[in-house]
Amino acid sequence: MEYLMYEQIERYLAGKMVADEKAAFEALLQTDSRLAERLKEHRTLLNAMQQHGQRQALRTKLKAIHTQMETEQETKVIPMWNVFWKRHAQTMAVAASVSLLSVFGTLWSVQQMKAPVQQQTAHYVELRREVDKLKKAQTAIINDINSTTKPVPRPARFSGTGFALSTNGYVVTSSHVVEGADSIMIENKSGAKYKVSEVYRDQTHDLSILKIEDPAFAGFGKLPYTFKTTESDLGEMVYTLGYPREDVVFGEGSLSSKSGFEGDTTAYQVSIPLNPGNSGGPLLDDKGNLIGVISGKQAGQEGAAFAIKSAYLLQIINELPTATTLSPLALPKKNTLAGISRPQQLKKLNDFVFVVKVYN
Amino acid sequence: MKKGLYETDEAIIAGIRSGDDRALAYLYKLHFPMISHFILSNSGTDDEAKDIYQEGVIVFYEKVKADALELTCQIKTYLYSVCRRLWLKRLAEKGRFANKVDDAENYLTLEDDIPQQEENERRFGMMDEALNQLGEPCKTLLEDYYIRMHNMQDITDRFGYTNTDTAKNQKYKCLQRLKKLFFAAYQPQV
Repeated sequence: MEYLMYEQIERYLAGKMVADEKAAFEALLQTDSRLAERLKEHRTLLNAMQQHGQRQALRTKLKAIHTQMETEQETKVIPMWNVFWKRHAQTMAVAASVSLLSVFGTLWSVQQMKAPVQQQTAHYVELRREVDKLKKAQTAIINDINSTTKPVPRPARFSGTGFALSTNGYVVTSSHVVEGADSIMIENKSGAKYKVSEVYRDQTHDLSILKIEDPAFAGFGKLPYTFKTTESDLGEMVYTLGYPREDVVFGEGSLSSKSGFEGDTTAYQVSIPLNPGNSGGPLLDDKGNLIGVISGKQAGQEGAAFAIKSAYLLQIINELPTATTLSPLALPKKNTLAGISRPQQLKKLNDFVFVVKVYN
Repeated sequence: MKKGLYETDEAIIAGIRSGDDRALAYLYKLHFPMISHFILSNSGTDDEAKDIYQEGVIVFYEKVKADALELTCQIKTYLYSVCRRLWLKRLAEKGRFANKVDDAENYLTLEDDIPQQEENERRFGMMDEALNQLGEPCKTLLEDYYIRMHNMQDITDRFGYTNTDTAKNQKYKCLQRLKKLFFAAYQPQV
């Protein structure tokens, strides 16, 4: 009996009664207070039970979530970094790009400012000439044809220019021309050819003194120029003779600066177009004074060539007797170039300017 | 977990209401550090923080499920307020009073909710007790039928009753015992 009543109550609570059954039950509830009491009780009980169940289930769920969270955190223990990184990634990216930009910007602008200076440092060109391979190959072929018993004279490997210092066979040229030489030959425009040896070298001023070894050598004759002991002035017309190729070449310009490459006070800057092979050539002024020795030029800049001042040449000439066992040089005392026209000057000079051929 | 899915409080509530466990998990993880920090800085332990927080989430969850939640503030604030109250209560039970609560957040007193919450608490405690006293197999049988909503046939099979009638009879007896135990302690006050 009781059992059936509860069955009914549960069906009612679950809303499973069909309409007229429900109506009948509700009518019964109105009259039967005991039934109504039971219903209320039962409802409370079921609700409490359901709530209990839900809560238990929820607790289990939350515990699972918590455990999961803890394991996540444990795996995340190391990437504390990661969190930090994620949070600040944007800021850091901005900071990094700003710093990169400023570093490279600074480097770049410094370089821009330094650029002209660097150009100077990088491009000092010594004007000794490397005799090209083409010519070598040609001579080789010719020699082949002309067959064979005679050993072929090797072509010179480098060439430069030199000029006479005194009548008794002293010649000066740039040290870099004769550097690493096995043997050196000099030859002038008229074809006089001598074997010379280097007797003195001043590396700092890039000057070498050569002496003719030929026993048959009888002397140059009187030198037409003299050496200037004082500095020349800016704007003076100057010229040189040299051997940038097989024939002698004249070059003219003016003295454009009293200092040389990178402010080097031992040299002049002259505005003469020069080429490899001009090194060691004489630099003369209008009156026929020798004022310097051509040594190099600045690459990439036209008309900026350099010549060692004659004062330093005289200095090493004076050093010569003390440094070696050689007798003092008899320097020319009379200038025969003054007051004559340039072509006349050059004619006189020709015999005293040599092509210096270096073999090694 | 996709964060974008539950970016707003409304989305979280909608998710919980529709029974989405991911919303619940997201909510749980989102606010745990706050409560943990609160409990730890007010003489609590990690375990207590976990307990209190779970209680708080349960209160929130039940409220959402019962559609009784009228949220006038952020979920964060609500949870904080609930947990704060629960923790103070716990401290009082332990005989310790926090003379100065170190608050990190704004909180509400939630006066209106307190009776209902306490009633729920009490009822839950009573039911828990009653079910434990009831013992097996009655407890499982009733839970299977009324909570897990298994049908009578399954229960018959599972508990090895000869037929559903025996099972029904057994269930009836169990229910009567539970009723006795439960109502012996519990008088509805709401």
